[in-house]
Amino acid sequence: MSFNTSLYSIDAILILDNQQNRIFTKYYKAPHENAESDLITNIKKQKQFEKDLFKKTFKQNTDIILFDHHTVVYKEYSDSVIYVIGGLNENEVLLYNVLQGLTGAFEIILNSQLDKRSMLESYDMLVIAIDETVDDGIILETDPSAIAARVTNPPTEDAVNIKIDLSEKGLLSAFNFAKKNISERLQQGF
Amino acid sequence: MSTHTYKKNEDGDSSILPDKMTVYQECLQACNASPIQAKKCRKLLSRLLRLFYAGETFPTVESTNLFFSISKLFHNDDPALRQIAYLSIKELCSVSNDILMITASIMKDIQSGDAVYKPDAVRTLSRVLDGSTIHAAERLFKNCIVDSNQSISSAALVSSYHLLPVAKDVVKRWSNEVQESITANKTFPSSSYTKHEFNGYSKAPNTTYIHQYHALALIYQFRNSDKMSLIKMIQQLTERKTLTNSLAQVQMIRFVEKLILDDSNFVNSLWPLFVNWLNNKSDMVELEAAKLILNNSSKFNAEQQMHAITTLQSLLGVPRTVTRFAAVRILNKVAIKDAEMVGVCNLELERLISDQSRSISTYAITTLLKTGNAESVDRLVTAISNFMDEISDEFKIIVIDAIRTLSLKFPAKYKSMLTFLDDVLRDEGGFNFKNSIIEAIFDIIKFIPESKEIALEMLCEFIEDCEYTELSVRILHLLGNEGPKATNPSTYVRYIYNRVVLENSIVRSSAVIALSKFALIDDKEMNNSIKILLKRSLQDVDDEVRDRAVLSLKLLESKDLAEAKSYLSPQFKYSLPILEQELTKYVKNPDKASFKSSFNIDSIPKMSEEEYMAVQYKEKLIGAINDDLTDSKSDNKGTDSSSNEDVKELDNISDITKYTLLQQQYQNELSALPEIGEYGALLHSSASVELTEKETEFVVSAIKHVFEKHIVIEYSIENTLEDILLENVNVVSTIDSEEYTEEFTLPIEKLSPLSKGKVYSSFIRPEDDSEKYLLTTFNNTLAYISKDADAEDDEEGFPDEYQIEDLSLTPGDFVIPSYISNFTNVWDELSNEESAVYNLGDEDSIDLQQVVSKLIVTMSMMPIEGTEVVISGKNHSLKLFGKSISGGKLAAIVKFASSSKGVMMKNVVKGEEPELVELVANYLE
Repeated sequence: MSFNTSLYSIDAILILDNQQNRIFTKYYKAPHENAESDLITNIKKQKQFEKDLFKKTFKQNTDIILFDHHTVVYKEYSDSVIYVIGGLNENEVLLYNVLQGLTGAFEIILNSQLDKRSMLESYDMLVIAIDETVDDGIILETDPSAIAARVTNPPTEDAVNIKIDLSEKGLLSAFNFAKKNISERLQQGF
Repeated sequence: MSTHTYKKNEDGDSSILPDKMTVYQECLQACNASPIQAKKCRKLLSRLLRLFYAGETFPTVESTNLFFSISKLFHNDDPALRQIAYLSIKELCSVSNDILMITASIMKDIQSGDAVYKPDAVRTLSRVLDGSTIHAAERLFKNCIVDSNQSISSAALVSSYHLLPVAKDVVKRWSNEVQESITANKTFPSSSYTKHEFNGYSKAPNTTYIHQYHALALIYQFRNSDKMSLIKMIQQLTERKTLTNSLAQVQMIRFVEKLILDDSNFVNSLWPLFVNWLNNKSDMVELEAAKLILNNSSKFNAEQQMHAITTLQSLLGVPRTVTRFAAVRILNKVAIKDAEMVGVCNLELERLISDQSRSISTYAITTLLKTGNAESVDRLVTAISNFMDEISDEFKIIVIDAIRTLSLKFPAKYKSMLTFLDDVLRDEGGFNFKNSIIEAIFDIIKFIPESKEIALEMLCEFIEDCEYTELSVRILHLLGNEGPKATNPSTYVRYIYNRVVLENSIVRSSAVIALSKFALIDDKEMNNSIKILLKRSLQDVDDEVRDRAVLSLKLLESKDLAEAKSYLSPQFKYSLPILEQELTKYVKNPDKASFKSSFNIDSIPKMSEEEYMAVQYKEKLIGAINDDLTDSKSDNKGTDSSSNEDVKELDNISDITKYTLLQQQYQNELSALPEIGEYGALLHSSASVELTEKETEFVVSAIKHVFEKHIVIEYSIENTLEDILLENVNVVSTIDSEEYTEEFTLPIEKLSPLSKGKVYSSFIRPEDDSEKYLLTTFNNTLAYISKDADAEDDEEGFPDEYQIEDLSLTPGDFVIPSYISNFTNVWDELSNEESAVYNLGDEDSIDLQQVVSKLIVTMSMMPIEGTEVVISGKNHSLKLFGKSISGGKLAAIVKFASSSKGVMMKNVVKGEEPELVELVANYLE
């Protein structure tokens, strides 16, 4: 056995809820190379893998297991589990640092509310945070604050204003709004 | 409509995925709308991503549509929208067409966009580009790599790394920039778009130096073929302690390992680095360094290894579970090879037995069991039984396996082991768990004869209420074999007959056979009662049970008790792998006529009970070592993958079976050649000898086959040239001694490029009996006519010659490895003795394991008593046994001892044929 000298060190990141439904699953492969194992391409295998893994880890109160030729570090929350999966010979602490980076960043962007509901509500920030931690298997960053600092908040400009206008100010303002909009578009040559 | 549907979705059960088609339509609509509503689009894209990350995919056409719609979002400048748009594009790249169209927009972003999404743009760009389009972005990448913003630089480095497989030579041109970025100071500028409340976390640091990790890995890719420049890089980077990032340091350790594997001379010059790493503030680095040292233990001296162990010892006590796990995992592995060294950690390991993480405690126990000595075994076993109830089946299996190996190691302790196994056997558990216990008990019965009665008693109790048919059958079979030999066989009969009454048909039929074996012992009364019991089975509802009862009764009632015996409890076992091979050959024979004669079972070698057991014992011990070394089984934690098991089985078939299989293959190949077929039986074939380097134009290796009156040399020749065709390939050999006369050679007519062929040359062995084992050397030259591969058929090539190395006939060629169980007895009986002493040289420069493995091959003898595994590292004694081609016994003990002058090797050989003994003792390469 020998060490992995390539940068590709993370095989997958999974977030499952307590019914082992997928909240987030991503099996990584190098973007310009073909997939090496079935697990990356075959969704049936993935689901089976997740099922077995979940069975082994749920409410076991350990942070790490070796599972099916993978080293898996994970963290459980009230109604979800976050897994970081690497090769069998991968440095365990390295994987754990990635996990800590992720969970730390989640805590920052979700205001310490790491439950399934807030994860799904802020799904945009969640996926960006993961993308800023691991890029197709390569670790980009492991510091929670640094990861969080890369995640943009959702835009504040909102479409909701339109709705309020329509419901509260009556027809006239709606007409005015439409007129303004139409003339704007005409000017843009649309 | 859309705003309303959002609400509905959000309020509903959040685990239900949004509808695929709805998301698709809404995304298309929103992205094509004008003006673009950033918030709405971000929400929609996040739902699209939710689909992707739940495993949903879109067909190519839809993906491409989405891809282009999303690219329209570039009209909006909101960074928050842009960031998620990039993520979506990245996910869509692999399934969409014409992704190149977006290159220009991305490049514009990289040049003049906001710093917040620039890194995302760079990373997306690497997915869009390929080997032919990368040139356009070269300058951009270079600029980004040297950018002072750490995120941008990292993103560019990682992207370059992604692009290596498609455009290595282009990326190589950026090596100056990459090099520069390792040492450069980079920072994170803060952005107004990413303000978060850092509850409990410190604000984002100025820099994390992670770009060093990325840059280092990239440089390694440029330089890994050039050892000197790698060393230079390592020295430069470590001297000034420029690497501050732990990931980068871990990476550095891995590069150093590669270097050391190639050339162990670096160890001493690089050792100061290791000291640094072993006392690093990051446990990740400490673990990696310790792992390196202990995995390659042959390259480091004892003191250096001890240093690593001490580091691990201190890591065993840290609060972080993962670190403790990693440390104990490494120690567990070391304990297999060198239990003594891990002994210093015993105190810490014992504390870990009660660790809250079960994986850690299991590792701790198995490690302790390996390092344990006879005195501590009892204490350990008690400690383990205390927590057996609390752990899951997989862990129990690991513990049971460890106990099994332990009981073979300390046979005297069988009583406490059996009590332990008996206790766990009564516990609840699945099939695999019970099976491993049964395996362990079986082994104890087999190899520790004193334990037999107690263990059989236990098994009898167990089958009384065993829910697994398979286990019952195995136990019944064992009872049938061992029971009759026990002092009081009748006790077992009762247990077995209970099965006949109470169980299903499979168990009943095996119980019938087991019963009939008891009738073979010399006890009239017992015989009669068993016959009565068997007769009852004649009325059984199942035909298999009836058949077996009829067969047994028939045999028992026949006059010829010896024949009955040979059927009911045969003295010999067939070698199963060979039987399988022969049967396949028989069935697959294309010649229909061959089926007229029935399969010849006598061609399968038989093994007596004793031989069979000895071989098995060896397989067990070695199997255990192999298992642990490959780390596959213990790491699987019982998630048995069947393919894995198969491979292991192949590995585990004993050397002797492998040897026989190989010999048979040679015999078949050779007898297919008419000239050689008439030489009679093949007496011995040597291992393959390389006659050229592996990288030359023609790769030649040779195998020496010894026949009664001839020696045939089989040259395998591989033409590694792509454009040259060889014709009339032959090996011209001249022989040192005149006693051997060349008879003929069989050349290869045509050897196409990149193909392999075989040349056979045959020699007559000296007729004079006193020169039976005459050694000699063949000076070989490869002669051939070479042609261009694409030349016309009638074109004449030109003859050429190619020098290959000499081939010597060694004493080993006349020795057949074979197995005996009682080496010491045979050793004392053999009369002719010869010995020789060699100095192998400096202790550090040789790997004893390698020497031993090589000796086994050159002497062509079988290692006995598991002595082929070097345990202590300094002193070792290797016991070998074999037979000469004419059947004379030959035994050797090779002792290694290290002294101030270097490692000394003493080779003592004894045997029945004095001339061979002398040759073997004195001939060493």
